[in-house]
Amino acid sequence: MDRNVCILGGGMSLWGMREGSQRDFFQEAAKACYEDIPALNPKDIDGLLVASAYTERTSYQTHLAPLVAEYVGITPRNICARVELLCASGSSAIILAFGLIKSGEADIVMVAGGEKLYTPQKWEVFYSELASVDHDWDGGQGLGLPPPVFAMVAKQHMKQYGTLKEHLGTISVKNRRNSAKNPKAQFQTPVTMEEVMSGRMIVAPLTLYDCCPITDGAAAVILAAEEKAKDLTDKPLVYIRGTGQASVNNMSANMPSWTTWEALKIAAHQAYTKSKVEPKDIDVAMTHDCFTISEIIEMEDLGFCKKGEGGFFVADGQNDFGGKIPTNTDGGLLGCGHPFGGTGIRQGMEVMRQLRGDATQQVPGATIGLTHNLSGFIAAHTVLIYGREVA
Amino acid sequence: MSTPGIPVLEGKYMVTMDLFPQESKEFNQIHAFYDYLKEGRFTTTRCKDCGSEPFPPRLLCPECYSTNMEWIDWPTTGTVIDCTEEVVGVPLGFGKAPLIHALLDLQGKRTFFVRIINCKQGELKPGDQVRLAVFDVDPVPQEVGRDVVQIPRVFYAFEPVK
Repeated sequence: MDRNVCILGGGMSLWGMREGSQRDFFQEAAKACYEDIPALNPKDIDGLLVASAYTERTSYQTHLAPLVAEYVGITPRNICARVELLCASGSSAIILAFGLIKSGEADIVMVAGGEKLYTPQKWEVFYSELASVDHDWDGGQGLGLPPPVFAMVAKQHMKQYGTLKEHLGTISVKNRRNSAKNPKAQFQTPVTMEEVMSGRMIVAPLTLYDCCPITDGAAAVILAAEEKAKDLTDKPLVYIRGTGQASVNNMSANMPSWTTWEALKIAAHQAYTKSKVEPKDIDVAMTHDCFTISEIIEMEDLGFCKKGEGGFFVADGQNDFGGKIPTNTDGGLLGCGHPFGGTGIRQGMEVMRQLRGDATQQVPGATIGLTHNLSGFIAAHTVLIYGREVA
Repeated sequence: MSTPGIPVLEGKYMVTMDLFPQESKEFNQIHAFYDYLKEGRFTTTRCKDCGSEPFPPRLLCPECYSTNMEWIDWPTTGTVIDCTEEVVGVPLGFGKAPLIHALLDLQGKRTFFVRIINCKQGELKPGDQVRLAVFDVDPVPQEVGRDVVQIPRVFYAFEPVK
């Protein structure tokens, strides 16, 4: 059995520094998701994949999927499990749901992801970040929190390719402008280039607006086999065309290059090949802008511009509306925030809306969209390609 | 040692909140790395069958999948390629800002991204030489039978060669 798989609806809680618990946010996301698909009886959902990275550390809760199922009122019978790949947990769960539906193991799968990251004392989440890298080797060097890593990436990219601090600032301004129009985003106000350039120093050359925030929140989408999707929605169908996920190293000492992300190139190649498209065919992209420099390198290694020209590409407006590849149209991580397990799902939802034609800030005529996450010490990359038609 | 809000944990050790690895033989089969570190040696494992030198040290060769590994010494000095200074967000346990890291070339063995200690803000620059710096970290109160034994530990960073 080899079936076509659709993403047919989704919703998210308000993201930010939230009052409430992880389970509260999953209920809010599920409610928004159900409202997006009025014809869906949640009791017909036969699979649940829950994406959450820090559930044990900041919510002291493992065995999360059955808990979420109970709270959102569903009774999965083909799959009910959690998926963890830190920042790419959500998109990993979408890939797995895609595979389960494509192969006939499930028909309608909810993919829900989220975190409660703010704890009663804020030091704890930063401390827990030491578990996000190779704890025994990089963690002991104080490399849990990612700014030093991405600062070094930015310094090397600037040195090798002449990328400027203003290029990084272009990303901050664009994504905060987009999030200001997204009512679920953590940041509801735009920032100017002047504010960005005078932002508080974090790790040179990265200043405050180069860094995504800590975020509470959740998101949920429904994936279904094409024949089921046709019964559940009268909106245009959006298909998952192909995916790729790659890892070539984990510990920092084994990084092949700091400025060319080999695993991203591999994951992108796999996704493009399976989807039967090329970079020039992508109409809209949600890429992992955990730091501004990330989005610049992603433009290069996803093939949207030549290597080394990412900074100049974004400064020229080529990854904004009206450019070659509008990117992070809902605000990205810099604007929406980044509750690790929720991010890939938020990205998939925004691409779905862009391809359905009902996004808040619509890319006219978009028919093929891409999402990308990086995770850990830039150790794994995940790429999904969606389309109005199957591959 | 008190644990506010959770009095039952008063005085208890929590492995899940430990900055540093378990280094004792009961919890780590590459404990020799830390034994050598105490002698000021920076080591890894070499595969006797194919000659590869993976880092971190390990039991299984990632190239030929042999378990025929031996310990070898690696250089303890390297050259700074570039450095960063974290002035905001230094995680608990790593002292006052700035937390300095350097990308260093360990004499061609690997490019390491490591913490630099005994170094003032603005002092380190590309091309500088740094050397291994081993320091004590808190011992682990480990249960041995009915007793609790303090297992000493060390960890490493690098420091400028002055």
